[in-house]
Amino acid sequence: MGKLNNSEEINQSADNIEVWEDLVSIKDLVISLLVCSFTTLAAYFIAPNEPPKPLFYGLVGALIGFAICSFVVKPKRIIQEEESEGN
Amino acid sequence: MDVVLIIEMITAALLGAVIYTVIGIAPGTDETAVLTPVTLVLVLTGVEPIVILAFFISSIVAKKITDSVPVAVAGIPGGVMATPMVEHAMVLKKHGMADISIRKMASGSVIGTMVAVPVSLVLANALIPFADLIKDYANPLFFIGAILLALMTKNKLLALASILPFALLIQGLRHLYWGIGVVPEGTNVFISFFLGITIGPVILTLFELLNKDKRISLPRYRKKNITFSKKNRYKGIPNPFKILTKKELGTTSLTSLIGSFTFIMSPVGITIFLGELFSSRIKDPVKKASRAISSMDGLTNAAYISGTLIPLIALGLPLSPMAIGPAHALFNAPPVFTPEHNMHHILSTSDFVWATLIGSVVALLITYFAIVKYSQQICAFIFKRIPHEAMLGLFFGLVLLLAFMDAGWINIGGVMLIGLVAGTLHRWGINYGVQFMVLYSAPWIISHLVG
Repeated sequence: MGKLNNSEEINQSADNIEVWEDLVSIKDLVISLLVCSFTTLAAYFIAPNEPPKPLFYGLVGALIGFAICSFVVKPKRIIQEEESEGN
Repeated sequence: MDVVLIIEMITAALLGAVIYTVIGIAPGTDETAVLTPVTLVLVLTGVEPIVILAFFISSIVAKKITDSVPVAVAGIPGGVMATPMVEHAMVLKKHGMADISIRKMASGSVIGTMVAVPVSLVLANALIPFADLIKDYANPLFFIGAILLALMTKNKLLALASILPFALLIQGLRHLYWGIGVVPEGTNVFISFFLGITIGPVILTLFELLNKDKRISLPRYRKKNITFSKKNRYKGIPNPFKILTKKELGTTSLTSLIGSFTFIMSPVGITIFLGELFSSRIKDPVKKASRAISSMDGLTNAAYISGTLIPLIALGLPLSPMAIGPAHALFNAPPVFTPEHNMHHILSTSDFVWATLIGSVVALLITYFAIVKYSQQICAFIFKRIPHEAMLGLFFGLVLLLAFMDAGWINIGGVMLIGLVAGTLHRWGINYGVQFMVLYSAPWIISHLVG
């Protein structure tokens, strides 16, 4: 497992770009934009055509897209915890 | 007031506090971009105005408490407003005091809220007699606002020179939509243009990714390394009056008070100015930093609350950077809210007081306690689980949706166009304030100045 993780690290290395103050990988970003756009608009169009409902469905669709992306895409951050003593 | 409504307000406030605790901690989230789309959708779905106000107040209080958490833990601002605090928070982090830094900032936020709520309500009522006079000149005032804000940017001439072309772009698109009949003549497409400006910087970057040369030349990074300092959990019930020293309490109350009065100016500018002013004479670096962050955090919170409430209660017109930005949906979200018929006209003074109290108290109780006690765990969870891509996807999806609803498929192209121009202007240092003011005054500029 350790080996696999290492090679994955190397494959992924230095491939992220900065958008809006945080790092993203282009591939994951494209996937996320497509997924969220699709779920949002799909939910909007399947909603019954009575005024507030399409919008509400759309919002729920966007949140579903967000949840899917959070599950599929890994954040590009490495968290290191350190014992901090005052220095 | 009936019980059902109060329960609805509390539920909405709870929801706002939880959602914006998460979003507040996530790095690099612009206040306007994360607050407006959600509030807009709520307004358009026809939720009771008073419930929306409770939601919004709770959201901004929660967001303001949490956006300084990643500053303390990792030196990354959770929002534009937290940027001025980075330098001071890093001093405390270097001294191994990230946890104290969080507690001081969150406590500063509590003080800021407690000062700003009553002061804003009083100030708003004091302004009401002048409201009609101000309203008569609303359109030229937005234009003057655009010029004043342009004069405060780094490249003044560039900002001034871009006002007219940008107004032309906005009115040009509106006339095109009328001409081909996707929107009835006289109806101004507004919401989606507003969002186009907001996510302009992201749209510009996305388009650049399609440019091969540009894509290859973009700086590449490995992952972002974030170092956390491990700390013990805070014991007992957090109390801002104990966490802050007497001097810190004094300065924080004072900056919050000033911040409430200066609601018409740029909150980031005032925060930097006052924070430095009140901490510059302190020699000890740790005391200096903790005085600066507590008073800055109090001030940003106060500026947010007063910038929303004062224009909303007194005028019903978004005449402050806060009102024209993040709080915008409370003023103008056609067809539900328009400048002639919005929360200002619908809610009574006691409605405002109730919604504000419920919203701020719920957010303070939930977010303040959670942050002081569990900031470390919450931060780690969000940094590890919430990818930036998903946040961008979420807001992109909402913008698409609202663009389509405003004027059909053609408007998705229109919003991209606005985003491209607005993103370029933003990159040149012409901030949102200038652009939003132009969006408001565009019809007036075209018909009175160049028509």
